[in-house]
Amino acid sequence: MKILIADDEAFSRRLLEKTLERAGYEVVSVKNGRNAVEKLSEPDSPRLALLDWVMPEMDGPDVCRAVRRQQGHPYRFLVLLSSKESKKDIVTGLESGADDYLTKPFDAEELKARVRTGERILRLEDSLVEARESMRYQATHDQLTSLLNRGVIIDLLSRELSRSQREGISTAILLCDIDQFKTVNDTYGHVTGDEVLKEISKRLLSSVRSYDFVGRYGGEEFLVILNNCDPGSAVPRTEQIRANIANRPVLTAQGALPITMSFGVLLNQEWGARPAEELLHETDAALYEAKASGRNCVRLAKFRRAEDHGGEMGREAEPRAAVLSKNHR
Amino acid sequence: MNQANNPISRLAVNFPELLERVENDRELLCDLIGIFREEFPRLQQSLQGAVAREDMKQVEVTGHSLKGMLFNLCVTRAGRAASRLEQMGRERERSGLREALAAFEHEVAGLVPELDAYMAEVRQ
Repeated sequence: MKILIADDEAFSRRLLEKTLERAGYEVVSVKNGRNAVEKLSEPDSPRLALLDWVMPEMDGPDVCRAVRRQQGHPYRFLVLLSSKESKKDIVTGLESGADDYLTKPFDAEELKARVRTGERILRLEDSLVEARESMRYQATHDQLTSLLNRGVIIDLLSRELSRSQREGISTAILLCDIDQFKTVNDTYGHVTGDEVLKEISKRLLSSVRSYDFVGRYGGEEFLVILNNCDPGSAVPRTEQIRANIANRPVLTAQGALPITMSFGVLLNQEWGARPAEELLHETDAALYEAKASGRNCVRLAKFRRAEDHGGEMGREAEPRAAVLSKNHR
Repeated sequence: MNQANNPISRLAVNFPELLERVENDRELLCDLIGIFREEFPRLQQSLQGAVAREDMKQVEVTGHSLKGMLFNLCVTRAGRAASRLEQMGRERERSGLREALAAFEHEVAGLVPELDAYMAEVRQ
């Protein structure tokens, strides 16, 4: 473990360094408070620091306050070292953000015991953070495919739609469904079905950019969000994704299975500011049309005004799915 | 034990305690004494100047540095004398300042030769 020592006195610094090095710690030393804050702000900085109270530029309590104000760093265990030992001083030190307090001149055994306490607390903190991150992951990801789960991908869609409205850019919504998946499950069993779902998830993820989103929308249905997607490229990009699925069979324990997917696509720019649920409903209609058209194809949910198809007074506009491609197997 | 008969009490430095503090690491001990020999004359000079000018902030700062170093070196009586100077500096207490400096200098008068003799003994 790496420990930072901040002490302006060479004598005290050397004694601390040697005592801790002998105990097996890696030691980094600085001579003033400002350098201590800089060191603790670096990536991979020491997690435990021994800070002298009286130092030039910034004293120990000021260093504690500055470190506690920092965001985006793992927790740092801070020990103040000083000959100040009145209750008032101890309270001041601890309230500045220090975790512990050691009186100078220190006893080597007491120093090491307090450092070990710090290590224990940091390990506990790490395990809590790890548990929290694991819970966060489980709450936001699909267990089988590791894709974003339905709740999260819909939430992201709402946010992306607001953002694209605000910035005047276009977002493409893709709803896609594995063709004849029930047949896969019925013929080869659910274990093979799960293998197919996992492989398809990987291919979907590898077919989009790092800032696009892919989520599991339902059983064998997936929602893909292509951010900042040029309207002219939405359909070709969807075609590319479809081809990435269809052109290569999925290898399972039961053998190579030819798998295809049908896609409904919607470009939000054509539809104006509408809620995500409404746009998803229209995208789903396009997907349904892709299925009805023989599967393994892409259909665009096309917005048209009432006057475009006459006679339907009272409806300002209605969707229709435009036939774009058809690749029957 | 009568203090006058205790050889440790005649010494400024409590060497057994100092050895314990450095966990019997004689190399480190020599290293620390080396640092002290380098730092001490500068700090002592700075303290003398600060007292002469009645620069109380400087008396506080230098007194603090000397106190830390002396206590670490198990030179308790001189450490206390430095602590008194630090306190006087912090409280801007000018009366008795020169006497406090004299008391400090009395405590550290034989310190360097004592440390030198000990280092020579340790190195043998």
